[in-house]
Amino acid sequence: MLKFLGTRAITSGISLVGLILLVFFLSRLTGDPTGLYLPLDASEESRNQFREIHGLNDPLLIQFFNYLGDLIRLDFGDSIRRSEPAIDVVLRGFGWTLQLAAVTMSLVVFFAIIVGSLAAFHVGGVFDRIATFFSLIGASAPDFWVAIVAIVIFSVNLGWFPTSGTGTVWHWVLPVSVLFIRPFGLILQIVRGSMITALSSAYVKTARAKGIKNRPIIFVHALRNALLPVITVIGDQAAALLNGAVVVETIFGFPGVGKLMIDSILQRDFTVVLAAIMVTATAIFIMNILIDIFYSILDPRIRY
Amino acid sequence: MTSKLHLFMASALASTVAFGAQAQENSVTVVLSEELEIVEPCSATKSNVGRVLFQNISETVTEMDPETGLQPRLAESWEDMGNGTWRFTLRPDVNFSDGTEMRADDVAHSLVRMKSPDIACEIGAKFFGGIEITSNVIDEYTIDVTADPAQPILPMLMSTVTVTPSDTPLDSFVDHPIGTGPYTFDEYVRGQSITLNANPNYWGDQPTVQSATYVFRGDSAVRAAMVAAGEADIAPNIALQDATDETLDFSYPNSETLFLRIEHAQAPLNDRRVREALSLAVDREAFVGTILANGTLLATGMTPPSTIGYNRDLAPYPFDPDRARELLAAAAADGVPIDTEITLIGRTNNFANVLETMEALLAMYQDVGFNMKLEMVEVAEWLERYAKPFPEDRGPQLIQAQHDNANGDPVFSMYFKYHSEGQQSGLLDPTVDAMIADATAATGDERAAKWSELFTYLHEESIADVMLFHMVGFSRVNERLDFTPSIRTNSELQLSQIQFN
Repeated sequence: MLKFLGTRAITSGISLVGLILLVFFLSRLTGDPTGLYLPLDASEESRNQFREIHGLNDPLLIQFFNYLGDLIRLDFGDSIRRSEPAIDVVLRGFGWTLQLAAVTMSLVVFFAIIVGSLAAFHVGGVFDRIATFFSLIGASAPDFWVAIVAIVIFSVNLGWFPTSGTGTVWHWVLPVSVLFIRPFGLILQIVRGSMITALSSAYVKTARAKGIKNRPIIFVHALRNALLPVITVIGDQAAALLNGAVVVETIFGFPGVGKLMIDSILQRDFTVVLAAIMVTATAIFIMNILIDIFYSILDPRIRY
Repeated sequence: MTSKLHLFMASALASTVAFGAQAQENSVTVVLSEELEIVEPCSATKSNVGRVLFQNISETVTEMDPETGLQPRLAESWEDMGNGTWRFTLRPDVNFSDGTEMRADDVAHSLVRMKSPDIACEIGAKFFGGIEITSNVIDEYTIDVTADPAQPILPMLMSTVTVTPSDTPLDSFVDHPIGTGPYTFDEYVRGQSITLNANPNYWGDQPTVQSATYVFRGDSAVRAAMVAAGEADIAPNIALQDATDETLDFSYPNSETLFLRIEHAQAPLNDRRVREALSLAVDREAFVGTILANGTLLATGMTPPSTIGYNRDLAPYPFDPDRARELLAAAAADGVPIDTEITLIGRTNNFANVLETMEALLAMYQDVGFNMKLEMVEVAEWLERYAKPFPEDRGPQLIQAQHDNANGDPVFSMYFKYHSEGQQSGLLDPTVDAMIADATAATGDERAAKWSELFTYLHEESIADVMLFHMVGFSRVNERLDFTPSIRTNSELQLSQIQFN
């Protein structure tokens, strides 16, 4: 296992450096941020000074190596837009995104497994049809539309929840509900399909023949084997949330990293873009390693 | 209903009451469209920065009111001393929120700071570009300010100068603004909110609103919903399609003028007939009440009707596609390359329905025979094409832009937009340069007349740009407030003007 972790850390590190290289040069291709930050008739002297302060006067390769040099000392540079360390800006946003993703995915996994398993057990029945119908709708509903409709119904008309923002637990209900819908629909479908296969397998038939009751058959015997493909999808969906649920964060005023990343790209705030990508990429690498470990726990045949 | 569900509903209702309680009797919540990138007084002319700081935290030397004209603020009076020098007599007994007294040397420092090359202040560049400003402190409450070249409207220009204490750094922006205004800047929770509270030591009357919280929501529908749900009191900027409640929504001229800048140096746009065809091909009235708000005015000039010298005798170009086709045919017969592809450049998210507006314009131009394509670009790319130095290989272009002037005088617009040296000017016309210089130096009725002549020349002789609309903005205001948004709401929101019903 240690060897596996070491190998994954090295390959992840190489991927991260590749990502930095790609994002660094791609972001520079978008142009000079000076015009965005200085008044239109700022003097050439001011423009030069601005470029000097932000290290934009040097040749691109020198800028890159300077950046890497700073990075080794964990200096991510200052945000051009906010005049504070880029990593502080990103970690602040990432904290919000991480909480949002954690709460949402916990609920998604819990409910998708229960509903998906029960649907598979009653395959073709009323419960299965209802679950399949709503999960397909959920998986295909656009976030922004669901979010606005939810605000109109539950905040403006019914007055149950705040429209947006943070502060109380009630502020989380609508954004988490909106974020819940799509991964819930997708994972429910995977759980259902995987469980149908597992429930028709020989070991389940054997368990039934031994007189074991339905609940242990579903949640002990079948589920453990059915979960392997589900975990992959859970990982993908969690990674998508960690990358920032941009639309939901924007609509509900959650100051998360997704919205920050989009704003920073538009504002050519290169340091923040790079820091945000590094933080989210690192988090996704860590999550993937955890999923691999979880795989081996669920299936003892898998050894690293 | 189960007991757990009862509990949930009861909690939800309780929380609703709690949300309502946010709106306390003498406090307001303002929802802005984006978070402030900085809280620097010398950038208070940026709309969202201004809505928090301008005249709330940071006061100006004079104050321009579109209704009543130039008013005293930190200066009680001013006098023309000749040779470009004006003497300002400051109000005594004014303190900054850090407790220090405001004196003439603070104004002198603010003028130096505003022009400091180390921080490139928005106000210094936007309103004092090309002007050398020096000052001479006469005594604690008297200061002479000299502009070179001389500015007959220097007192009006001083309505943009935010005064900060003399120890404010010259080489960096502040993150905790200190001013003389009726409010103090108390808390900035990055990403979430800004809180101002009434300044108990304010020199003027104590405002009714004792505290204000600014929150940031990117989506217009959410901003509108927040006011409808009672979570916010004012949403100063909502889109046309969200302004659906007549009891809450106010429309007002937002001081923005929408136009297409013509690249005069490039064929075929260097031919006056082609430029006239561009103006005649647009069915302006078809936009109003459809994809643009009712109340949108057809424009003949760069500044709104509230500016002095606005020429009300000028008529917008009529929609006459046949005449446009004739003009293009005549130009083609004289060898003007009218088949050259023209790029119509629009700015993404510049205003509600900008894409629909640009697509409609493109269709109208193609209908009369222009070879035109549309490119919608983000603000950064748009700026690179809009401001000098222009890209060398740009080819013929029409660039969609909005220009904001709520200051009452075209001087804030004309040099930038039309002078040969203007940063955003597509013109190289010595006649226009001379007319701008003349009008800038004139005063009173003569000044208004000279601006008026310039408007006529640009609209009818030169056809400098395709003038389109004076735009309308929407604000949503909670019924508990006695506050009517105006043209100034586009750039400032004076909390002290708000009362409660």
